[in-house]
Amino acid sequence: MTLTLSARNLVKRYGGVVALRDGSLDIASGEVVALIGANGSGKSTLSKIITGAVAPNGGQLLLDGAAANFPNPQAARKRGIAVVYQELSLIPDMSVAENIWLSHEPRRGMGINWGEMRRRTQDLLNLFAGTISARLEPDTPVTALPPDERQIVEILKALSSDPRLIILDEATASLDTNQVNRLFELVDQWKAAGMAIIIITHRMEEIFRVADRGSVLRNGETVGSVDIDKTDERQIVQMMIEGAASPEDIRMPKFPKDAPVRLEVNNLSGGRLQGVSFSLHDGQLLGLGGLQGQGQVDLLLALFGAIPFSGDMILSGEKVHFSHPRQAMKKQIAYVPGDRGREGLLMIRSIFENLQLSSWSKYGLVHRRGEARKDALEMATDLSLVYSSLDAPVSSLSGGNAQKVVIGKWLLREPKLLLLNDPTKGVDVGAKGEFYALLRRLSEQGTAILFYSSDDNELLGLCNRVLVLHEGLIRAELSGERLTRANLVGASMGTRHELS
Amino acid sequence: MNSVKLQRFLSHNTYVVSLVLLVVVLAINYAFQNNVLELRIINNNLRTLLPLIILAVGQSIVVIGGGVDLSVGTMVSMINTLLVTWITPESSAGDVALALLLACGAGVLAGAVNGIAVAYLRLQPIVTTYATSFIFSGIALWVLPRPGGSLPTDMVRFYRSLPFEIPLGFYVIVILIVFWRLLRNTRYAQYLYAVGSSSEAAYSTGVPVTLVRVSTYVWSGLFAALAAIALTLSTGSGQANLGDAMTLNSVVAVVLGGTGLSGGQGGIAGAIIGVLTLGVIRNIIFFAEVPTWFQTLINALVILAALAAPALGRFIRQAVRR
Repeated sequence: MTLTLSARNLVKRYGGVVALRDGSLDIASGEVVALIGANGSGKSTLSKIITGAVAPNGGQLLLDGAAANFPNPQAARKRGIAVVYQELSLIPDMSVAENIWLSHEPRRGMGINWGEMRRRTQDLLNLFAGTISARLEPDTPVTALPPDERQIVEILKALSSDPRLIILDEATASLDTNQVNRLFELVDQWKAAGMAIIIITHRMEEIFRVADRGSVLRNGETVGSVDIDKTDERQIVQMMIEGAASPEDIRMPKFPKDAPVRLEVNNLSGGRLQGVSFSLHDGQLLGLGGLQGQGQVDLLLALFGAIPFSGDMILSGEKVHFSHPRQAMKKQIAYVPGDRGREGLLMIRSIFENLQLSSWSKYGLVHRRGEARKDALEMATDLSLVYSSLDAPVSSLSGGNAQKVVIGKWLLREPKLLLLNDPTKGVDVGAKGEFYALLRRLSEQGTAILFYSSDDNELLGLCNRVLVLHEGLIRAELSGERLTRANLVGASMGTRHELS
Repeated sequence: MNSVKLQRFLSHNTYVVSLVLLVVVLAINYAFQNNVLELRIINNNLRTLLPLIILAVGQSIVVIGGGVDLSVGTMVSMINTLLVTWITPESSAGDVALALLLACGAGVLAGAVNGIAVAYLRLQPIVTTYATSFIFSGIALWVLPRPGGSLPTDMVRFYRSLPFEIPLGFYVIVILIVFWRLLRNTRYAQYLYAVGSSSEAAYSTGVPVTLVRVSTYVWSGLFAALAAIALTLSTGSGQANLGDAMTLNSVVAVVLGGTGLSGGQGGIAGAIIGVLTLGVIRNIIFFAEVPTWFQTLINALVILAALAAPALGRFIRQAVRR
């Protein structure tokens, strides 16, 4: 039953991007360790290596003192390592019991012992008795459950294999207070029974509630381990940010104080958003920060009319409520998606076609192709796009240049409000610099920009003002003197007091 | 029955709606053809439908696993030509048994080719199985360029027999359902539904996704072989394109039976009901004295309606919710 796990100097690269430079972690039975780090610090990569979902490029994983190598999640589970996934891993068409026991069903001979399976599922469900609704039964199909109860099924699924080590990766994100309390009582029981537990959470408060130790990652490197009862929030945040690369020095121009308000949002809810309010002036670059999945993308999509929302949206003094992106586009709003390949580009079509895809209506019923070509060429030059020919497929471009095409496509429509969803993700440093210069130029021309970035450096270096989102709410609004890394990271972990 | 239980019942018994449909078309058929429920007529109908019933069972397994097999018809043709080459009217019982065994082996082999191409080479099921269907077609033409062949009379007579005054087809259907009931209770069936429903989630739970995918096509190949045996017994001879038209019907039967082409749900009972429904509709068209040139059109419309029904249902439900 007892276990010791030691990760030593793990490395993981995706293409040229290093996700984990030097990840280390030690944990033994009866311990609760929190993996702590900002966006892109490598904490989820590290946990994926431990669970066999990702194979490392270097380093060593020692389980019970011997080198371990997990080719797939099943191999890790056989050795007693279970994980509660952040992205749900349940089969919607199957029942709660079938999901929990999938691939280790209790059997009788060749067949499945359905009675035993139901009984053991009920035993597991009883662990959360009082915090779940009566309809959550072994036979309930998972599709009929709300997110919090699905998350509980997910936790029970991990627990059903009697693991020696359980990883809770943002397992509390969709649970309510009672359910979280119950989970933490269970964590204490598991710990007493000799289980090892790793938790990853975006709530600082939870780290102090259940963890014995915290292992802090920064830029893909494990920078230290602290005993939770001998530390405080301030020290942990300090470890998360210390010595981090200083923000690029491309300060945006101060936007004129008398610039008209382009966008005003009051109490907007929808998706993960729980009611946010803010305003954005022409020529202003407003950053959206916080850990990933706190509602930033939902905010951009709601403003673009791509997801339903409630609350007021006032655009240049006029109240609007878009229910389709087409309406937003008519009002000169542009949205640059984060996932280039899936949402932003037709990879096998030409650069020319991609650039003009959303602008053809400008060129008449029978397109004046010559004119469109000239505009596209100008745009490509403006963006300093590196390409062989306008007719080359977008798939022939590098990541950074492909991203320029996505932006160029929207700039050809001359937007007044630009919504950016983590546009520099996976873009090389050189192209990033050009992109920043482009943002600066747009800003000078008076374009209002709402800029979500998972890279804190960009927010600190570029933005006039940053809204930090946490669980669908604006946890902090930082500008001027108060726009510091410590405040940014602190607010993204939900701390209530500013740290500097 | 509360709503969750009802949802549960319907999701585990997707064929209920299809059964209602079958009863309705059967009633219409009865109006045109009073003797449709007579034992002799049932035996005749069942004998013609049995190959497709067996084939549709195999197709169901592939569809539940998230794929589709467009080569089943030509597999039937291929194995039909092999059977009439191996078996002659003078064959001994031993030779016949060997031939039937080899036929099943050929089906499993052909299915494995499909499965490996789809699961290991990660090719699109529709394109892959459409492509391999030409391979099987080619083999069939090579084996039997001209229609012909005949079987021992005892075999043909056996296929037409009514053991204990019940058509042979009933026994086969019962065997198929018992087979499925047993299979449904194994871990393999859990894997099958999991892979068809969400292969990523299944993978992260430790389900051997690739192997399960391959296995669905192997099942389909085996059932194509069994269907070919039934078809050969039914016609008593061979022809290189005898089963080709059965491919589309097998898919339509699966859909008519309430098994969605998106995978992860349904069962074989639905497919069997689907085949019976198709057969009854064909009877209606025939006995309603629809001009022959309309028969193909009406048949095509039925197929289109069956394929569109699930999407239409979803569309209506969404419209109502709004």
